[in-house]
Amino acid sequence: MSIIYQAKSIRTMNPHLPHATHIAVRDGHILAVGTKDDMDGWQAAWGPLELNTDFATRSLLPGFIEGHSHMMEGMFWDYHYVGFYDREGPDGTVWPGLKSIDEVVAKLKEIQANRKDKDAPLLAWGFDPIYFTDRRMNDADLDSVSTDCAVIVLHASLHILNANNFVMEAADVKGADNSEFIRRDENGKPTGEFLGQLGFYMAMRTTGINLLAIASSPETLVNFANVARQTGVTTATDLVNPMPEGSEKPMRETIDADDFPMRLVVAFQGNSKEPDEAVARMQELQESNSDKLRFSLIKMVADGSIQGFSARLKWPHYYNGAENGLWYIEPERLGEYLKAYTKAGMQVHVHTNGDECTEVALDKIEEALRAHPWPDHRHTLQHCQMATRAHFKRMKSLGVGVNLFSNHLYYWGDAHINITMGPERAARLDDAGGALAEGVPLAIHSDAPVTALAPLFTAWCAVNRRSSGGVTLGNGTQNISVEEALYAITMGAAYSLKMENEVGSLETGKRADIAILAEDPIDVGAEGLKDISVIGTMLGGIVHLNQGRD
Amino acid sequence: MPTLRKIPLTIISGFLGSGKTSLLNHLLTQADGRRITAMVNDFGALNIDAELIAEKHGNQIALTNGCVCCSIGDDLMRTFIEVMQQDPLPEHIIIEASGVAEPTRIAGFASVDPQMRLDGIVTLVDASAHHLHSKDPHLADNYAKQIAAAHLLVISKTDLADAETLATLRDELRAAYPQVPLAETMHGHMPIDAVLGLNADAPHDLPSGPPSGPMDHNFVQWAGHLSPVPRHEVIKRLETLRPHVLRAKGILTDCDGAYVIHYAAGRVEIEPFDGDASGHFVLIGTPALPDNEALAQLF
Repeated sequence: MSIIYQAKSIRTMNPHLPHATHIAVRDGHILAVGTKDDMDGWQAAWGPLELNTDFATRSLLPGFIEGHSHMMEGMFWDYHYVGFYDREGPDGTVWPGLKSIDEVVAKLKEIQANRKDKDAPLLAWGFDPIYFTDRRMNDADLDSVSTDCAVIVLHASLHILNANNFVMEAADVKGADNSEFIRRDENGKPTGEFLGQLGFYMAMRTTGINLLAIASSPETLVNFANVARQTGVTTATDLVNPMPEGSEKPMRETIDADDFPMRLVVAFQGNSKEPDEAVARMQELQESNSDKLRFSLIKMVADGSIQGFSARLKWPHYYNGAENGLWYIEPERLGEYLKAYTKAGMQVHVHTNGDECTEVALDKIEEALRAHPWPDHRHTLQHCQMATRAHFKRMKSLGVGVNLFSNHLYYWGDAHINITMGPERAARLDDAGGALAEGVPLAIHSDAPVTALAPLFTAWCAVNRRSSGGVTLGNGTQNISVEEALYAITMGAAYSLKMENEVGSLETGKRADIAILAEDPIDVGAEGLKDISVIGTMLGGIVHLNQGRD
Repeated sequence: MPTLRKIPLTIISGFLGSGKTSLLNHLLTQADGRRITAMVNDFGALNIDAELIAEKHGNQIALTNGCVCCSIGDDLMRTFIEVMQQDPLPEHIIIEASGVAEPTRIAGFASVDPQMRLDGIVTLVDASAHHLHSKDPHLADNYAKQIAAAHLLVISKTDLADAETLATLRDELRAAYPQVPLAETMHGHMPIDAVLGLNADAPHDLPSGPPSGPMDHNFVQWAGHLSPVPRHEVIKRLETLRPHVLRAKGILTDCDGAYVIHYAAGRVEIEPFDGDASGHFVLIGTPALPDNEALAQLF
């Protein structure tokens, strides 16, 4: 059975035929792209093609590819969303945004009042303090919700959480250990705010909720796929997963089900085992590859985050004088892993945020390539937010690609100008224009759940470079065009995953993975990109529609 | 709520190649009935004799001497969760930090865990490579933080440095951290009691008579019998012995009742003791400790 879908416009990302109005789909693949007349020629040999006009007023693009996300995005939907913006859950329910700390507290009180089991831990997520500058949430806020059960609020960044005194007493938070990861008031009393992994650990140890098990459950995976699907994504990544022995089987079963609406590329956590064992484990995982599930990447994390002051910056380090950040792995060990994976022909994506870390990662990639030359390794730097033009030149020479964290421009752009990097360096934050100018293969990402997963929003960030405070970062050379941004969230990301021959553009023979949009993003232009309504997706020819969109 | 005895956490920190694994190996062979759980980066490097492995399960290896080794595999939080699910719980947790870890970050886990307390941070300083590590273009700051965080500094690989280098290093560390005990080791040999303290779960086993005198590898031990003495007074006396005292433990009494005191390089932990306090008190220190007579007088 073949179906011709008629659309108002089709943006193919195929330079030979960038614009079309009809696309024929057969057996999960694209039979033809072009005009109505172009379709007719196929019918002689391939039989009658049925015309479908459901999307005749819509715009079709290649299904979006999120090259840096985490399936953890799907784990919180059983809990309560208290973020600033409205957010749509995997079942289509819209959770309204809460515009002040008082609104968050009021919402939590309402939940507590209405739920049956009032002693169970009350967990909320998505809280984003960057919008509330007058004060920080504290233990008194959450004690007002309840003093008889655990009340825990995870921040949107996932780097911080707030807890009430019930939790702190259960954890027996030590007064004597002056940990810098426990925020304190002027009297030295903990305020209920915990930084880094500590908060998560405390939440698990005191409530018995195993967030780690939930993070890798089939339900989480399905939720993740549905959240991504609603933003037009047909292929996403789980960009770091330790994949314990046996975990691939349930994952494969979940993903291969017909109603699972997304392809998933899993990046194996590169230093979860010693190099030899890790290579062997990766080879074993690859036996579970299917049309929809791929184990094709290794992820290495080399430093922390800029806004968390844990990224490694070159001198003079942080603008506000904070001490330099952290290495998450010894540079020497990073080099050993890169050599082992390069030798084995395994593509590595390296998380580097600060410019010092980017430079060291490039040194280590160069050493690995000198030892084990590999022309199309396609090792990629992920985030790489502070790269200079000099770094991009070197990446071009080494054949290294980049996937920039463009959403940062919006969420933390102001903080980078005023606190972490200062104006001059912040101008080059996530310099997509620079990467393209120097000839570096480019993708852009959300790092969901760290920021909201929505490729059109990510594209908007890279095109406009505007912070949440309304400031434009840079002088224009760092911006990319709407066309370039759309390419980055389709073919650019496909190339970074070595899937450019299968997905990322709409052309004969490729998979029928399509984003169905209410408007043509090229016509809408730079300003409106993020507001384009996503009607649904097609994955391998199967249509998945969002509820209530037009 | 009944007070549970908290599991002490010891963090072994130091540059890649500074001898952390050797020290850990050596500690595990001295476990002698203590159920130690060691969180390590790499089983392979531990070089555990196959005969000593009782059971291998996922990322945990149970040893025949009751100890357990857990591979961290880049996920410290997950490993802590797994360790705290062990049944029975370990008596002591040692973590072999990565060469770039900030030990104070790891210590934070103990701060928020109702069943864990920080026993101490031990940082190894490689005598043969200190001059390189302290000037490393990317790691020097991190290295300095590891040293600054230490409750016990150990100069390792002393056999690989010449006498002058060693003396300079000693002076440098002594000057920078006058309050922190400074020990030395070759091939990771250190008495377990000096690193982890006297067996915390077996207070009755405190040696009753003196094995006062020199211990293995440049450490001395002093044991005495203390009549009832207020806890703050014991702490005060111990403070006068810094930095030469590494560990102390006593089962003592004061007007508030019997108590066990653990002292580890400035960190004090006091727990109530059920039973008659014996008054036993043991100190482990460097040879720079005052002599037995002076100690007997002090206490």
